[in-house]
Amino acid sequence: MSGSKKKRGHAEKIKVPSYKARRLFLLAVLAFAFGSLIWRSVDRQVFETAFLQQQGEKRYLKPMKVRASRGMITDRNGEPLAISTPVKSIFANPRKLKADSKTIGAIASILDLNPDRVRRLLASDRGFVYLKRRVNPDVAQQVKALDLEGIGLESEHRRFYPSGEVMAHMVGLTGIDDQGLEGMELAYNEWLSGVNGAKRVIMDGRRRVIKEVENIQSPRSGNDLVLSLDRRLQFLAYRELKKAVKTHRAVSGSAVILDAKSGEVLAMVNRPAYNPNGRRSNRRGSFRNRAVTDVFEPGSTVKPFVVAAALEQGRFKPDTPIDVTPGLLRVGRHLVKDSHNYGRIDVATVLSKSSNVGASKIALALKPEILWKLYSRIGFGRSAESMFPGESSGRLPHFSDWSQFEQATLSFGYGLSVTPLQLAGAYAVLANDGVKLPVSLLKVSELSKGERVVRRSTARSVVHMLEAVVAKGGTAPLAAIPGYRVAGKTGTAKKSVAGGYAEDKYLSLFVGMAPASDPRLVMAVMINEPRGKDYYGGKVAAPVFAKVMSGALRLLNIPPDAPLVVTPLLAGSEGRH
Amino acid sequence: MNTMARSQASMGGKEGVLSPPVIDYWLMGAALILLMFGLVMVASSSMYAGERIAGSPFFFVIRHTIALCIGLAGAMVLFRVPVSSWEKAGPVLVFVGLVMLVLVLIPNIGKEANHARRWIPLGVFNLQSSEFVKLFMVIYIAGYLVRRQNEVTSSLWGFAKPMILVLLTSLLIMLEPDFGTTVVLFATVLGMLFLGGVVLWQFTILLTSSALAGGALIYFSDYRWRRITAFINPWDDQRDSDYQLVQALIAFGRGEVTGVGLGNGIQKQFYLPEAHTDFIMAVIGEEFGLIGTLAVIFLFAFITWRAFQIGTRAMARERRFSAYVAYGFGIWIGLQSFINIGVNVGLLPTKGLTLPFISYGGNSIIVTCLVIAVLLRIDHELRIQSDGVKSGGRSWSRV
Repeated sequence: MSGSKKKRGHAEKIKVPSYKARRLFLLAVLAFAFGSLIWRSVDRQVFETAFLQQQGEKRYLKPMKVRASRGMITDRNGEPLAISTPVKSIFANPRKLKADSKTIGAIASILDLNPDRVRRLLASDRGFVYLKRRVNPDVAQQVKALDLEGIGLESEHRRFYPSGEVMAHMVGLTGIDDQGLEGMELAYNEWLSGVNGAKRVIMDGRRRVIKEVENIQSPRSGNDLVLSLDRRLQFLAYRELKKAVKTHRAVSGSAVILDAKSGEVLAMVNRPAYNPNGRRSNRRGSFRNRAVTDVFEPGSTVKPFVVAAALEQGRFKPDTPIDVTPGLLRVGRHLVKDSHNYGRIDVATVLSKSSNVGASKIALALKPEILWKLYSRIGFGRSAESMFPGESSGRLPHFSDWSQFEQATLSFGYGLSVTPLQLAGAYAVLANDGVKLPVSLLKVSELSKGERVVRRSTARSVVHMLEAVVAKGGTAPLAAIPGYRVAGKTGTAKKSVAGGYAEDKYLSLFVGMAPASDPRLVMAVMINEPRGKDYYGGKVAAPVFAKVMSGALRLLNIPPDAPLVVTPLLAGSEGRH
Repeated sequence: MNTMARSQASMGGKEGVLSPPVIDYWLMGAALILLMFGLVMVASSSMYAGERIAGSPFFFVIRHTIALCIGLAGAMVLFRVPVSSWEKAGPVLVFVGLVMLVLVLIPNIGKEANHARRWIPLGVFNLQSSEFVKLFMVIYIAGYLVRRQNEVTSSLWGFAKPMILVLLTSLLIMLEPDFGTTVVLFATVLGMLFLGGVVLWQFTILLTSSALAGGALIYFSDYRWRRITAFINPWDDQRDSDYQLVQALIAFGRGEVTGVGLGNGIQKQFYLPEAHTDFIMAVIGEEFGLIGTLAVIFLFAFITWRAFQIGTRAMARERRFSAYVAYGFGIWIGLQSFINIGVNVGLLPTKGLTLPFISYGGNSIIVTCLVIAVLLRIDHELRIQSDGVKSGGRSWSRV
């Protein structure tokens, strides 16, 4: 301001004031304005930072779910049966997404949805709708490339079942929220489920994650589950069962393979089945694991247990003669019939020929309580406790309610109902020298001691008698497996319908074990309502048993026992005829 | 001043090579720092918006750079134009400005964006009439004040005539609508008239009535009134009207004293709707903290003060036109930067206005460059004629 004097001088000369006061006033106003800016900035950036940052965090810091992956289900050898793969779910915020028909068309075509459906979804006034869940990452990428405000992606897992329909009933499936709906997925849902974690992320103004700030809780992955099943046996059993059900135009079929030494279920298959990876429909009850859920009257397959009870009691031996002439037995007002008149036969032949009259005579010679106890202790009328969802216990009436005729029919398998699993479990008692092991759908690491049901000698004796069933002259020569001794029993049960038994609806059954000298595997095959010309268990079910069992014995490297011991015995039985 | 000029002149004489500075390097330096800093901040804040709107993060940066080049080239040209030419061109310029304002309102000519019709498309470039009108109006009013000195200081008519022109111009700008620019233009002209010596009581009446008119404009316009209420309590309804303000305040809060660092801001990532234009100051506050904020405020204050200083010197030399132009530019830059930063820090209610030198916007950048060029020219003419006889000959030959 060294020139102020001079300025004033000039101004006075030409009579125009320079209005210095006004200028200074204006400068002061401006100075005040800038000063207030400084005051406000300092306020915001020094004194209010805590509040402002908290307000900011309220807007951009968001907790986000971290999906835990579900445990894997494998077979006993570690082959994956159910695995979770990462996928993306597409969601939209209809309030933010301003979608014209072109955008809707683009979304619909990428996601393979009906445009009207997309339009309806986006018309809602909610802040969150799933457009499509669990799409493959490449589809998600295409959606992301549209770069629409109000559309987001969420990481999820999709369950994939490599073995498809073969394992479908056993493994089951999960729903859209990764929760088990069927099968082992349901039974062990809690074990398999992980615990979702949470993290805090910074999101930009369009709700996209910029960075992760902190981990609130790490997700805990679900536990893996090892089933007792052997994938190879399962495939084999499924293939043969499917073929048999198709050939005989049957309504359904089930097969169960048990490990006689451990009680583990090595295979469990049913027809009809469904594809757990594709469009799932419960048409014709295809979701049901019939081997566990469905019960039927087991027919002749229970006869070995009548014989076992008789042997236990001591009044009968395998060679005790029983007169079954004339193939008819009157019990009260009812008749028990055989298909032929077998004449005077021994206990072993009652089994090999499957004589109803013989079985009835043996049963009627026993106290009801003794037969009931045996049936009950081998598992009839009691849940097998496999833990499988929807498992059926079957039905065994209490002996105090039995009539004479009931006692007789129970000896050839009517008046009680069992599941294929229970039936296989009962034969496993015989196979395991009279000791019942708990059935297990999970791989067993520690063998159970089990519970003795019959004497070792009784079990051995019955198994030996059952070998004759498979021999020539028995009811199931088709169940024979070259190189192995096989013991088993056929069953052909009339199906009960309203008001009695149907004349043309049958269940074809075969339950057997091999190698008979020291049984390792027990298998039950049930074909429901074969509608071809064959319906006998020995014709329909026994071949399935033979094919699957022979393959299974080889797959499990079980040494053959036939050449050494069986040949003379076969010759002997041949000689008897 | 004299002693300094003399010593420099003598130094120049001694060395034979060095000449006295003929340019206000301080002003030029401050302007260039702001322009370059602005370019950096536009780059930092427009990446996300560019990617979103045009598919390229450099969309806005490239345009801003081009505008900057045009502005600097234009400034170099305008620096050569003698102040006297501006004085003569004043009425023509203001007429051109009014024509441009009318053109912008014609539907097929004016280009609309964000519910406002502010631009005339010229092929590659969209001309924003109101930016240039501010420049032309300052030059015209300065000339008017010189020509009608006696009228202005004595009669009501002398005061009313320019006011009618300004009201007409303001009306045209309000029709776009552009409230922020109207306020800056109107206040700048009022300031110039105040410094030009209008009768105080007349001025006071006008000031009061225009304040009332402005208040009415705000009160009867729904969205402006919402902005006022939102301004009073921004944390109340945090979704709509105050969205920008709240996000801007958060940006400042996050920046604290030293800032989160260039490029690390969160608020520009789709939280601040006008991060690279009206709310670029918030991004500066977040990324450079209080240090950055104060530096920018200081530079604007310095440029304003420097313009006034040039005006004062011109007034002392009886270069009254130069003085009024310098005052006008000073008020303009000071006011516009004050309003913009004030809005950003929540001192003033939200209104759309760019931050000179810094905000993205070709017109704003070019016009600010021209303003600085004219200021430098005025200063230049004062310098080369400071000692008249002594250094005049040599300096004249330069121009």
